[in-house]
Amino acid sequence: MVLLKRNSSAAGLVRPGRIVTVTGAASFLGTNLVGLLEEDERVARIVAIDIKPPQTAQRKTRFYEVDFTQPTAEARLSEIFATERTDTLVHLAFLASPSHGIAVAHELESVGTRHVLVAARHAAVRKVVMWSQTVLYGANASNPNFLTEKHPLAAPTSEPFYADKLEAEAELARFAQKEPGAIVTVLRTAPILGPTIHNYVTRYLSRTVVPTMMGFDPLVQFVHEIDAIAAFTLAVDRDFPGIYNIVADGVLPLSTVIKLAGRLAVPIPHPLAHAAGAALWLAHMSEAPPSFMHHLRFLCVADGAKAKDKMGFRPAYTTREAVLDFTSAQRLRDVKLLQETPA
Amino acid sequence: MTRPKKTTARAASKPKRAGGPRPAPKKKAAAAAPPPPRKPERAAAPPKRPASQPRTPAPRESLAAEPSVVAQIRELEAQLDRLIDQASRHELSGLAPDDEDEVEEAPAAVVAAPLPLDDDDGDDDDDDDHGHEPFAGTARPAEISSTEITAEYDVPDGGREHSRPGVPEPRASSAGIPPAPESVFDTARELLSSDFYLRKWGRLAMRGRSEEVDDFGYDPIYEAKLKPLLDFLYTTYFRVETTGVEHVPAQGRCVLVANHSGTLPLDGVMIKIAVKREHPAGRDVRWLTEDFITHFPYLGSAMNRLGAVRANQENAERLLDKDELVTVFPEGVKGIGKLFKDRYRLQRFGRGGFIKLCLRTSTPIVPVAVMGAEETSPLLFKIEHLSKALGVPYIPVTPTFPLLGPLGLLPAPTKWRIQFGEPLDLSGHGPEAADDEILVGKLGERVRASIQGMLDRAVGARKSVFFG
Repeated sequence: MVLLKRNSSAAGLVRPGRIVTVTGAASFLGTNLVGLLEEDERVARIVAIDIKPPQTAQRKTRFYEVDFTQPTAEARLSEIFATERTDTLVHLAFLASPSHGIAVAHELESVGTRHVLVAARHAAVRKVVMWSQTVLYGANASNPNFLTEKHPLAAPTSEPFYADKLEAEAELARFAQKEPGAIVTVLRTAPILGPTIHNYVTRYLSRTVVPTMMGFDPLVQFVHEIDAIAAFTLAVDRDFPGIYNIVADGVLPLSTVIKLAGRLAVPIPHPLAHAAGAALWLAHMSEAPPSFMHHLRFLCVADGAKAKDKMGFRPAYTTREAVLDFTSAQRLRDVKLLQETPA
Repeated sequence: MTRPKKTTARAASKPKRAGGPRPAPKKKAAAAAPPPPRKPERAAAPPKRPASQPRTPAPRESLAAEPSVVAQIRELEAQLDRLIDQASRHELSGLAPDDEDEVEEAPAAVVAAPLPLDDDDGDDDDDDDHGHEPFAGTARPAEISSTEITAEYDVPDGGREHSRPGVPEPRASSAGIPPAPESVFDTARELLSSDFYLRKWGRLAMRGRSEEVDDFGYDPIYEAKLKPLLDFLYTTYFRVETTGVEHVPAQGRCVLVANHSGTLPLDGVMIKIAVKREHPAGRDVRWLTEDFITHFPYLGSAMNRLGAVRANQENAERLLDKDELVTVFPEGVKGIGKLFKDRYRLQRFGRGGFIKLCLRTSTPIVPVAVMGAEETSPLLFKIEHLSKALGVPYIPVTPTFPLLGPLGLLPAPTKWRIQFGEPLDLSGHGPEAADDEILVGKLGERVRASIQGMLDRAVGARKSVFFG
């Protein structure tokens, strides 16, 4: 209610009967965003684009099956944007977790983003909101305790998971340059935790023994799934051009996170860890490739002040509360009391 | 008579439940609902919550994460069990022995009382913690059990009121009841179950650490745990004498600039303790550490929990924005890495970064001289060949270090003096003065000279390295 009032008072920002297109609509963020937009009476139509329909789709949603890895995706998207008269584009078609299918991931994220943005330019989309992640800042030894949006994205490009997303961000930056009239928003979320999401972080924290780096205990930061989704609804509701870190308040040492999650940390000497991690990744026995191990040694904590000041984004959960909320659901999963359909 | 059977079965399963894994059933309802997060209003709500304001406790705090609460609940449950036991025994002796049914019924009915408490865990967890908190006193469980008992009694056999007055009696003295003797088998069974160790593990897990550290990683509980050791170092081992601590402002941002020495950099910690103990305001001091300490296995994270922050312009600025008291060691690694023959000779002060920072933020500077730390581990040579592979700037060679192994890194018990000098107020210069390299150089030199002067005087007045 409060939201509604504030929005209607901000004249010119609300256009009744908006048409919001969501790519990657069947992903975790996409599904939930579509569900929320379905309930928003200011949204006339939701155009969901993915390779499978989102579960939350109802009468307002129109689903188009587009595979971004196909070369025809560009023409198809541009056609959809034009016929649906898309006003706001929310680009969420990214992998939440590192994948072994490097080639597909590259086609989807890097090339797919180009397809989407070319089509968006062609159809003169007014606003583009894209998902990105704070892990792209990279866990470097020289990081300050808080990374602002101005800090360069310094994740190692040798890791395809980072490289594809970095290319997507670069693609969007070029788009913003070419289309000065368009509103371009990038929301860089911290690793998302919560009771229903599944990604490499939740899998890492649900192992029986959790590998850590011997002697290192960096501060880590998460964002709760509800807050992450709320940030996207905020960005869809109102216009916030620019890049924003979407993070929860507070940081925790990694060891505390593992203890709160009720897991057992197994410290591994870091000179050995890289080889062991690479072997495990090759054997499909770990959640992430060895390049993620830097996050177990060094800081990669983003500063959410800009989203607070400019967007009015107020995370409801702190990092600790997000961990506890995730843990509570994970405990149920551990004893097979929680059954869920994969998002 | 199905009822007694059923309830005794419940009674039998009950202790197991209490001893089972910490109440896992958390927000089943919320988590299982398909489109989960429906809380945008809360996240997006305009009412501004200042960052410093203490957060309201999250509704879904895990019980397991509150070991004290869990322990309390468990204790109360155990107490309740004992009461029930006693009550039943009391009744056994007090009632007619021919009434078998009733005897059986008594414990069963009583046991039914705490069950709602357990059911809470399973069903709605949102107010789980709040639901349990009122049980913190001993009054409530007693009251609950007695009222529930009456209720249970009233229903099946209302005509037997006269036999009840004996029941509440043992309950009245609930606090002073000696623990009921436990069977050896019970104890053995509990010790042999993996749950026991899991619970122990869960309880011990968060010992000695906070559930929430501050933005830069400072952990007050961890510090409290180490406090005896640090106080021992301060008062007994180094016998630190602190003078001029009144120069440190009681509030507001301030930068303490100190000389850096000692192969194991303890000077930051000692300055922190000095201010904490001697200063009337007892302020907390943060200090900035070089990269190689920050990223040194174990040492780095331990220092971080105590209040050290990686030396970095952005970090320092953020700390000063929060009006913290920050110690900087402008000599950096050159300070701790100087040879014994160069002791108490201040090295170059970086590039004056701290002066620029203080000018920009108009922060006063208090020079600090630490005497005694140079001799804790006199550096005879530095081996710099292997250092790259090991990730340290150099390998120190002290009279004891490679000789005695890691033990050789222990600092010698020298006598320390920490002297805080006259503050240097920079508020006369505007923030634009930070670009004036000449001025920055001059001010840096002034701070350096004042520390060097204090050190020279202190070292000159010293008669013995170990006894001051």
